[in-house]
Amino acid sequence: MKHFEKWTNTLIEASRRLNEMTPEIGWLDDPQVFRVNQLPAHSDHRFYQTDAELTAQASQLVQSLDGQWQFKFAQTPAERPVGFADPDYDRSQFDTITVPGHIELENYGQIHYINTVYPWEGKIYRRPAHALDSKDQGTGMFSNGADNTVGAYVTTFKLNPELQGKRVVIQFDGVEQAMYLWLNGQFVGYAEDSFSQSEFDLTPYLTDGENLLAVEVFKRSTAAFIEDQDFFRFSGIFRSVRLLAKPDVHVEDMTLRPNVLGDLKTGDFNLALTLSKTEADVDAVVKVTVADHEDNAVLTLTKPAAEHLHFDNVSVENVHLWDHVDPYLYHLRIELAQVDGTTIELVPYDFGFRRFELKDKVMLLNGHRLVINGVNRHEWNAKTGRCISHADMVADLKTFKENNINAVRTCHYPDQIDWYYLCDQAGIYMMAENNLESHGSWQKMGAVEPSYNVPGSLPEWREVVLDRARSNYETFKNHTAILFWSLGNESYAGDNIAAMNAFYKEHDDTRLTHYEGVCRNRAYEDQISDVESMMYAAPADVAAYLENNPKKPFIECEYMHDMGNSLGGMKSYNDLIDKYPMYQGGFIWDFIDQAISVKDEVTGQLVLRYGGDFDDRHSDYEFSGDGLMFADRTPKPALQEVKYYYAKHIN
Amino acid sequence: MPSTSTKALQIIYGDATLGLRGTDFNYIFSYERGGLESLVQHGKEWLYRVPKPTFWRATTDNDRGNHFSEQAAQWLATDVFLKCIKVAIKVDDLPIELPISPVNNQYTDHEFADHVTIRFTYETTTVPATTVNVDYQVDGTGAIKVQAHYYGMTSLPELPAFGLRFIMPTPATGFDYQGLSGETYPDRMAGGIPGKYHVDGLPVTKYLVPQECGMHMATDWVTVTRNQTLNNADPSHDDFQLTFSALPKQQLAFSCLPYTAEELENATHIEELPPLRRTVLTLYGAVRGVGGIDSWGADVEEQYHIPSHRDITFGFEIKGV
Repeated sequence: MKHFEKWTNTLIEASRRLNEMTPEIGWLDDPQVFRVNQLPAHSDHRFYQTDAELTAQASQLVQSLDGQWQFKFAQTPAERPVGFADPDYDRSQFDTITVPGHIELENYGQIHYINTVYPWEGKIYRRPAHALDSKDQGTGMFSNGADNTVGAYVTTFKLNPELQGKRVVIQFDGVEQAMYLWLNGQFVGYAEDSFSQSEFDLTPYLTDGENLLAVEVFKRSTAAFIEDQDFFRFSGIFRSVRLLAKPDVHVEDMTLRPNVLGDLKTGDFNLALTLSKTEADVDAVVKVTVADHEDNAVLTLTKPAAEHLHFDNVSVENVHLWDHVDPYLYHLRIELAQVDGTTIELVPYDFGFRRFELKDKVMLLNGHRLVINGVNRHEWNAKTGRCISHADMVADLKTFKENNINAVRTCHYPDQIDWYYLCDQAGIYMMAENNLESHGSWQKMGAVEPSYNVPGSLPEWREVVLDRARSNYETFKNHTAILFWSLGNESYAGDNIAAMNAFYKEHDDTRLTHYEGVCRNRAYEDQISDVESMMYAAPADVAAYLENNPKKPFIECEYMHDMGNSLGGMKSYNDLIDKYPMYQGGFIWDFIDQAISVKDEVTGQLVLRYGGDFDDRHSDYEFSGDGLMFADRTPKPALQEVKYYYAKHIN
Repeated sequence: MPSTSTKALQIIYGDATLGLRGTDFNYIFSYERGGLESLVQHGKEWLYRVPKPTFWRATTDNDRGNHFSEQAAQWLATDVFLKCIKVAIKVDDLPIELPISPVNNQYTDHEFADHVTIRFTYETTTVPATTVNVDYQVDGTGAIKVQAHYYGMTSLPELPAFGLRFIMPTPATGFDYQGLSGETYPDRMAGGIPGKYHVDGLPVTKYLVPQECGMHMATDWVTVTRNQTLNNADPSHDDFQLTFSALPKQQLAFSCLPYTAEELENATHIEELPPLRRTVLTLYGAVRGVGGIDSWGADVEEQYHIPSHRDITFGFEIKGV
């Protein structure tokens, strides 16, 4: 087992590096610093120590840190409590805040809704670092930004017994928009990318007693230029935080490729694993089983453990295919066991066999033309904003099913991890979008004007967007439901977005890439996006594209803008589906109104408020009210029309 | 419009109004107010003000985006300030001189007819102006056949809507109709399922910014139910109803809301709308589509516009007692 000993313990390596690191506030200004000491993104599989845990889907190795934290708000970086992460800092003046949640919805910071132009419009003049002048470092732009509110979060914890003595990491599922992390006064790391999970190794700093965890969250950083989505502008730890302990031998990453051969009957199962282990000398075997719905094993594979393991091209006869109508999932189970059979770790992963391909310029799923009856979906809850519950997701999927919605675009960022599992189970085709939108950098009052566009082709803005593509891919790569990787939304097009496209092409030949913005810059049309995608193209314009020797199949990544009382004329889009095989449907904008439930200052009744209602300016007012659902998750009248037309091409 | 009524209809040739009476009904048409001022069945008043033709709809988000409301703004003024310029009466299909004093001195306290038709002619405040006729024909059963006719006029903006609006003195407890499920518009009615439906109360669809809402296309009839009046001597809370039916081989569009288009137009949030006090039932002869391609310029598809140069006629019957 020599190779076993040569394993690089990435965690220990990482901890050595971070000891040398001192946090700098200037990272907020530098587009080239966006992750410091973060662990690499990896697949989102869960792991357990016993079958009982697995069955209950409750691991003793997980310790949630959600709940009430100590909190101090600062209006500007200059006013923030410097040094608050030190154990002997006087935090007697701290308030409390609920984690997860948005700082603004706890009434510390001002609520603000704005669409395309940047949220500092009319208040601060900013141009992205390096955009107009390669030497412009943007120094102080955010680290000294008058609009850059800061949340100082503190919590204490004792490790649960099951976690003690093990390798322990911390996962932040979503922190907007830049965060610094300390444990017991020692700096751990830094993260941006509000909508991807950030993971850090805590092992070197943990004590057996009480541990002091401190997170400093800045509302703005250079990420602000590429997180210009059309939504309320929040900050804070808005998704869950947890500790995870790793068993002695652990699946760090897995890549599952359940392909289907051209006969549409033979499964071609591929699995690649990356394992890690403690320094203790543990020999292990890896047992992989795949069972069908009735728990009949369709394959069983065993290998000795190694850092990298491959199970390639394993045939499975007569596979039951996965699609929207019949989202049949097989049960993968990976067991890491000692040579005497004692279980070390169990990793389950449900997946489907499906074949998605582009053939004669038409997208086929399992050999049939795909028709997307889709919606764009922001994560939204009128009371808690983008901090949504599992029950919200389940309710949304119920609405999908009841109304023949078969596809979702995760506009315009990765959603909570649970959502992807639920879409696998429900048979919802996913367009998994990166956290990227730089709308304000290239479109001004409706006109295309990309003079200071980011990421563009600027080398200083390349790695940050590639990292977002990587995080999205690595985290979600095993989800059957994902048919498209979407590079982002409304960010124009340049070398950097082409590099994101290339990343996906290098890593995944089982899905297609999607990006609408390339239609704004045709120079990149052969390098970006497998599909021709437009938003809000009128039916006649779609027909014109399809009548003129089209290069790529066409989808509307956004259409039927359902703002207020709307959604008239859907028939014309439905007719396109019948007329043109290369018109493959679209995603309605959008699923749910974004409005906030507050007490009316006059009547005390709960009412829904929108942009501008919080004295927030510049604002786009009610423009975020475009859902098929009202913000309180009751259906808009237009939904029956969607149900009717989407029933015509359900597949 | 020949009547099949066998009941005699009593006519009261008043000095300011024309009263029409029968068993359990009494209708009063006002020359000064320019319309049907009172519609009483079984002692219950159904009108708060005279019904008037209506032309406006509360701006939808798409209307705002494509500037339709700005282009059509003349119709808002007309909706509010429409004037009645003429009243004409026929008794058993024979025109009579308008029976105001002293012409009405020739009549007695026992005047009867089979049916009476009264026409109100309205002139719009648009430039150029056009006219609308509204005819009410009442027979001895108390049935009222209503016909509205818009005279097309070139060089006017497209119409947001054309209908006849009935404002009732108290809020309905609900309404029943035979038509399509949900809220439907000409360009959004394919998903509506035909059937009989009951709606509790007077829901205003809770769009973030109050706007045109609650339309029901392709309706055979609608029955409004109320259980209170403004009559201080009437403490009853028993339900009472009034039914509006499409004419044979036709269908109606209607909305039944607590607010006029102007009240909706004026609110930026639903909580700013006035307290629920009345019922606004509007029967429509023409409804503009709501559109949906985008909310920043895309127009409603051509076939769902209401051109102003074409005449529009529609009718319905208010059921007798």
